[in-house]
Amino acid sequence: MAGTAKSRWANNEDDAAQEAQLKKEREEKKRLKAEKARKAEAERQAREAQTQANVARTAQPRDEDEDDRGSGPPAKRRRLSPERETRSPAPAAAEQDSGAASTKLLRFEGGAFGRCRSVESYDKLNDIEEGAYGWVARAREIATGRVVALKRLKIDPKDRGGLPVTGLREIQILKDCDHRNVVELREVVVSEDTSKIESIFLVLEFVEHDLNSILEDMPEAFLASEVKTLLLQLASGVAYLHDNCILHRDLKTSNLLLNNRGQLKIADFGMARYVGDPPPPKLTQLVVTLWYRAPELLLGATRYTTAIDLWSVGCIFGELLTREPLLQGKNEVDELTRIFALCGLPSDETWPGFRRLPNARALRLPPPTPSSSGSAIRARFPLLTAAGAGLLSSLLALDPERRPTAREMLAHEYFAQDPKPKQEAMFPTFPSKAGQERRRRKQTPLAPPRGGQVVELGAVDFSGIFSGRDKEERGGGFSLRMV
Amino acid sequence: MSHMANPLATPDQLYKRRSFSSLPTELQDAIFFSAQCLTQAAGVLLQLPQSATAQANVVLARYWLVEPFMSREFSDVSAAALYLIAKVGPSPRSPRDISNVYAYLLSPSSSFFRPPTSPPPANDPSAYYLSDAAYQTFHNRVLAIEARILYALSFNTHVSLPHSLAITYLQALDFLGARKETVSKRVVEHLNTALLSPQMLYLTSQPNALAVAAIYNAAKDLGAKMPECEWWEVFDVDREELGFLVVGMRSVDGWARKMREDVPGMKEGMVTRRMIEDEMRKRGLQIGNGHGVEEESLDAEAELARKMDEKIAQMEADA
Repeated sequence: MAGTAKSRWANNEDDAAQEAQLKKEREEKKRLKAEKARKAEAERQAREAQTQANVARTAQPRDEDEDDRGSGPPAKRRRLSPERETRSPAPAAAEQDSGAASTKLLRFEGGAFGRCRSVESYDKLNDIEEGAYGWVARAREIATGRVVALKRLKIDPKDRGGLPVTGLREIQILKDCDHRNVVELREVVVSEDTSKIESIFLVLEFVEHDLNSILEDMPEAFLASEVKTLLLQLASGVAYLHDNCILHRDLKTSNLLLNNRGQLKIADFGMARYVGDPPPPKLTQLVVTLWYRAPELLLGATRYTTAIDLWSVGCIFGELLTREPLLQGKNEVDELTRIFALCGLPSDETWPGFRRLPNARALRLPPPTPSSSGSAIRARFPLLTAAGAGLLSSLLALDPERRPTAREMLAHEYFAQDPKPKQEAMFPTFPSKAGQERRRRKQTPLAPPRGGQVVELGAVDFSGIFSGRDKEERGGGFSLRMV
Repeated sequence: MSHMANPLATPDQLYKRRSFSSLPTELQDAIFFSAQCLTQAAGVLLQLPQSATAQANVVLARYWLVEPFMSREFSDVSAAALYLIAKVGPSPRSPRDISNVYAYLLSPSSSFFRPPTSPPPANDPSAYYLSDAAYQTFHNRVLAIEARILYALSFNTHVSLPHSLAITYLQALDFLGARKETVSKRVVEHLNTALLSPQMLYLTSQPNALAVAAIYNAAKDLGAKMPECEWWEVFDVDREELGFLVVGMRSVDGWARKMREDVPGMKEGMVTRRMIEDEMRKRGLQIGNGHGVEEESLDAEAELARKMDEKIAQMEADA
């Protein structure tokens, strides 16, 4: 560090004065607390001495037991530290009895570790997908009857790097995630023969649809209220990921799953990774499917932020409105052209510093005219409210700094305006390709299948069922334009 | 919360390791300690950040609570753990680099695990030159163990380290009035030493407790003043756990010195399976199910590993 530059932790006079003040206060508090604690301590020590005496008395014979490996259960007394767990309630209880020092300590639960189970604990029902992602099947857990999706990790035996790092990252990230809008990884299982680990399966919760195939099959676009519900869920999932330092890096409609209760789940974390703040300098720019790729990535940035996910969210927003991917570039250059046509040409005002990006130095832009520098989003989505168009334009801001964060997006006024977001439980259902439901059956509802499972509604709040009714859009053929 | 918590060893796992292994405790500890030291040394030579090496240490410790010690060569397991953690983290290392470093550390030219008093060994590059064939077999073993580690840990490689937490706590404690650099360094030293402890402190305590214990120890070492109240409770550590960890961390140094004196073979480089087997034979102990190990071929070793696996599996089925 340069001689003049001060560490952010360094003290100056102001700090010192303030600190002294704080210190005094702290010490005052401490003294009070210490006094309380001392009383409690005396009491506690008496008890502790007693319990310890007890423990000591009982410990010796037990230790001998352990050495000759008695037939009894191993539980009671262990030599290593877990014994704390069994003993610690005693002093804690004593403390609470004394009443004075009622400290409640936070406990961190990280679970345990152990071997994988075998894939044989699942019964395959049908294939869902076989393609670039690898193989996905619907399966049933034999022990519980629960239906899950099995995703086989693609392993190239010729790869001398061992197990694919993307797959390992996906597993680790999904294991760490727990959010209603992120697909749940229940466990990882391997093939029966464990002498050589060759087949690895991710056991994911089964979700009926992906948003892309729904959009393709839909005869009509989503209602504005439905778009809002989907977007809110997407934003809350993305906000969760970003709060936990996870970049998804491949958000697109085919990676968004939707179940029959209107819940959206973010899936496919094959591109995802943890990033710190500030982000590491050399991230790969080869991320995100082209149509959803942010302009800074196309211009070769290797230092990028969570804003790239928000760009993808913007593309998904547009796609939800029109049922068509928003920016279907044929290649990187075409993609950029389409982006500039939609969002306007970059300039030092709309995107300060974009010229410094690797691929932008050679970029030749036409001279700016009033029409080319402005955004065409408002014109392209005439049915969107001003707030909606505002949100979309901000998500599709060329300058990553100007895009809202996922948290800011959640608070956007677009979601507060009428029509209100539709309740998830009121979402229309669709025939599920993954569940092998035929589309033509849609016309007449089927009788409940024999031996089928009762549909789980989950926790549904019906109290507001008719409350916002009159404010909701009617749907069918036209959308209301709210001015 | 996952950034603050680690999966911990279950009492059952600890009990089984201590009671059902065919190896005497001190040999288990010697294997554990030397493999952890080897991992650290390799991490240094590979210029990995300590955050990565320390995670590999923890993963290695977890692996050995699930799988028996003798099923694979210890140095191979260490290399695989390091390779795996480096790969999923921000600073991957190539298999070639890893194999070179391990070949060097295991060669007579390296001073690894030799008495510090003895003169440095003569540098003989041919001793750690790795032929292509040798590299390939090493590489294959590492990849196989990599998959095995993941299998044994259910693919959970998450390790939360206490190091950065300890610095945050120190800031909250105003560095105990001591020099920031001195006290921080001492804390980190205690945390790194704890990685080597055969008590497997990182598998029995959460990072916050480790951080607090290291601060406590550092303060004692430097004579720095700690708050007079029960300050550890602010960091959600109770007195008893703190006491246990403080003693556990302090004992590593003395224990390691004594062990290196007492356990034969600890002055001749990295402990190997062959050394352990020889030692067992010398003590008249048997490895495996009542069959002595007479043959010294590689096949016999594989056979042995298989038997150990079976035995463990059997015991798990019984338990």
